[in-house]
Amino acid sequence: MSETVLRSPSKEALDTDVKDGELPARLAATWGTAAGLIGALSTVDHKIIGRRYIITGFFFLFLGGLAAVAIRLQLARPDNTLIGPDLYDQIFTMHGTTMMFLFGVPIGEAMAVYLVPLMVGTRNIAFPRLNAFSYYVYLFGGLMIWIAFALNIGPDNGWFSYVPLAGPEFSPGKRADFWAQMVTFTEVSALAVAVEIIITVLKLRAPGMTLDRIPLFVWAMFVNAFLIIFAMPAVMLGSTMLILDRLLDTHFFNQAEGGDPLLWQHLFWFFGHPEVYIIFLPGTAFVSAIVATFARRPVFGYSAVVLSLIATGFLSFGLWVHHMFTTGLPQLGATFFTASSMMIAIPSGIQIFCWIATLWDGKPVYRTPLLFVLGFFFIFVAGGLSGIMLASVPIDTQVHDTYFVVAHFHYVLIGGAVFPLIGAIYYWFPKFTGRMLREGLGRWHFWLALIGFNIAFFPMHISGLRGMPRRVYTYPAEMGWDALNLVSTLGATLFVASFLVFLYNVVVSSRGGEIAGDNPWDASTLEWATTSPPPPHNFDHVPFVTSRELLWAERQTLPVVAGLAVDKREVLVTTTTQALPDLKESSPDPTIWPLISAIVVTAIFIGSIFTPWAVAWGAPVASFVIIAWFWPKSTEENV
Amino acid sequence: MKHLLSIAAALAVLAACEREDREFRPSPVATEGEASITLSSISPGVVGLGTPRDIGKAYEENAYHLSEGKRLFNWFNCKGCHANGGGGSGPALMDDSWIYGGEFQNIAQTIREGRPNGMPSFRGKIPDEQIMQIAAYVRSMERQVHQDAAPSRDDDLMPRPSEHRLPTSPPVAGGTVPPSGQAPQ
Repeated sequence: MSETVLRSPSKEALDTDVKDGELPARLAATWGTAAGLIGALSTVDHKIIGRRYIITGFFFLFLGGLAAVAIRLQLARPDNTLIGPDLYDQIFTMHGTTMMFLFGVPIGEAMAVYLVPLMVGTRNIAFPRLNAFSYYVYLFGGLMIWIAFALNIGPDNGWFSYVPLAGPEFSPGKRADFWAQMVTFTEVSALAVAVEIIITVLKLRAPGMTLDRIPLFVWAMFVNAFLIIFAMPAVMLGSTMLILDRLLDTHFFNQAEGGDPLLWQHLFWFFGHPEVYIIFLPGTAFVSAIVATFARRPVFGYSAVVLSLIATGFLSFGLWVHHMFTTGLPQLGATFFTASSMMIAIPSGIQIFCWIATLWDGKPVYRTPLLFVLGFFFIFVAGGLSGIMLASVPIDTQVHDTYFVVAHFHYVLIGGAVFPLIGAIYYWFPKFTGRMLREGLGRWHFWLALIGFNIAFFPMHISGLRGMPRRVYTYPAEMGWDALNLVSTLGATLFVASFLVFLYNVVVSSRGGEIAGDNPWDASTLEWATTSPPPPHNFDHVPFVTSRELLWAERQTLPVVAGLAVDKREVLVTTTTQALPDLKESSPDPTIWPLISAIVVTAIFIGSIFTPWAVAWGAPVASFVIIAWFWPKSTEENV
Repeated sequence: MKHLLSIAAALAVLAACEREDREFRPSPVATEGEASITLSSISPGVVGLGTPRDIGKAYEENAYHLSEGKRLFNWFNCKGCHANGGGGSGPALMDDSWIYGGEFQNIAQTIREGRPNGMPSFRGKIPDEQIMQIAAYVRSMERQVHQDAAPSRDDDLMPRPSEHRLPTSPPVAGGTVPPSGQAPQ
């Protein structure tokens, strides 16, 4: 057992001074969450916050799913009067908004919040109070938009809120304002988490985890965090301009006064296209982890996968205009964006082939998580192929705003994000709860989902090619779309049923599932080196990383690092590339101030929909609570 | 705390439910037969459906009706005489002076029945529903309606601050008669 001891001149108790038997209990006392409601609301433990994030994300997935069911019921037959046009507009907007902003982005970050610190072998995420704050802001923003919807103030301009439709003239009332503020909420929380992930990956990796030993999961989440940081400000700017136009009579999008409605589309899609990859990259993270574990070998082409992740990140910012091919672009511009849209298929293809090669060369164990990954290959590749079709201007011009596009992006997003995510839940559920999900129910879930999904969405390709436009609340019988729509609705029912199986599985297994043990899948990454669920301090000793597949390389005993304080929260900061031990730094204690700050910020955001004075009066209060949050304590830092 | 917050939010927006209702296809029955709004204290007749004041409230407190009224105000060329509310060959609509009364039912009746000295009657030309939308919008020009429901700016040149940014002016019953009303042309 190789052991590196970090000596320091302070008099504090270090883990080297404590008997092995006592150590876990004392560390747990230092890092634990206080009992009671205030304790629970003050916690800064990334696992507790991550778990809340994941549950909230799934809560919004189910709400968005119910909205989808309503849409499908309305479209099941022609001239249906089940849902009127006004409510239908709100429902499809809530479906898109919820799935993209309240489920797609946060759920990837939620999984990262829980798993990245464990995978890099540290005791807490960087900026843990910011983490708590971001969760509360996300929760309040999501609740706000759904409460507004329940009160008939739901947004009704589509999840992209194009002006002038969403502008002051054509969207009276407060509906679009609530949408714009919901974007602001999501933005604040997403950016906060992205910063935490980047710093955690760069500075808090366990010693020895050099850049080429970082698990692919962590790489994907790391690249994803950069995408969030560069993409999100564009939509924040856009939504702020929109709300200013609506509330304060500014003219950003008013052509008569020198504004430009197309500016909105550019700002929105400069965010909106990377957004698709923000949703997809966590999917690649899950797939890389699951494929390696169940193929029983490291992922083929580690460097190629990492480089294609980074390439995807860069390229995703260069193709937003393919959402705007019908707005009358110059030919050269359209050509450029066609080329860049087709080019992004290359890094995605490289990753797919690396995973297939891994499975080909390995000895795959077909458990539920791997089944979902196989489903991902099938669906995502089909969606990618229709994406290549849409990247070409002549085809795109024909099928623009038809159900062909709806079919395409559901194949890409559900295939690329939801299937890997469900696989990931089956895979990490034992780590989250200490219990296994039931395998039999998992197989039912998979087959129902795969078949239901394809029955629901494949016919949309055809109805789109036959001219059915998106966002219509009904259609006349003579258009010949009725059979296709009925089939889609039946498939959607099956798809929803698969999620009910999942829900049942989660509820039953979290109480009575088989006890998992530390490493039920015999996986190689660090989160499996600790107990299930992990203790508050994650690891009794910070691991020392000697190999990319650490738990497979060091099967006898795990090399560890000692010398961290026991009675105060201390994390080990390492150098960025070589991961050499650099500093011991204290990690913030729990506090209620992030929650209070989130409440104040929520009040400001919602109040500003009704009066600009909310910002003026809210700013001093916000400053006060943030000062309280950052009030320095006289703790001594060890270097 | 979360409960308190959601209750507060609920109360804040509860008033907004009515404000956000949208009826894209009003029942055609309502636009036929005797007008429900013609009758007010200053003209003789039989009382119609509901009291005029209540009907006015339903239109004035609804953002959709107000914005429709704004659209129709342009489409029926009210602008031709009243400009953007400042008045032209017709009297101004954004001040507190009303020759024939500034209440909702007065304005609706003015549009429907016409007035001497140039205001034509739109009875049978504009559906009743739309007359009331226009009347509600005219009320918003003077900011007699709630700020959260009043229309925002148009995607057009801005002749004046939009209705929802005007200061509230308390209604002045009657007001003073402008010169155009005192001296018939």
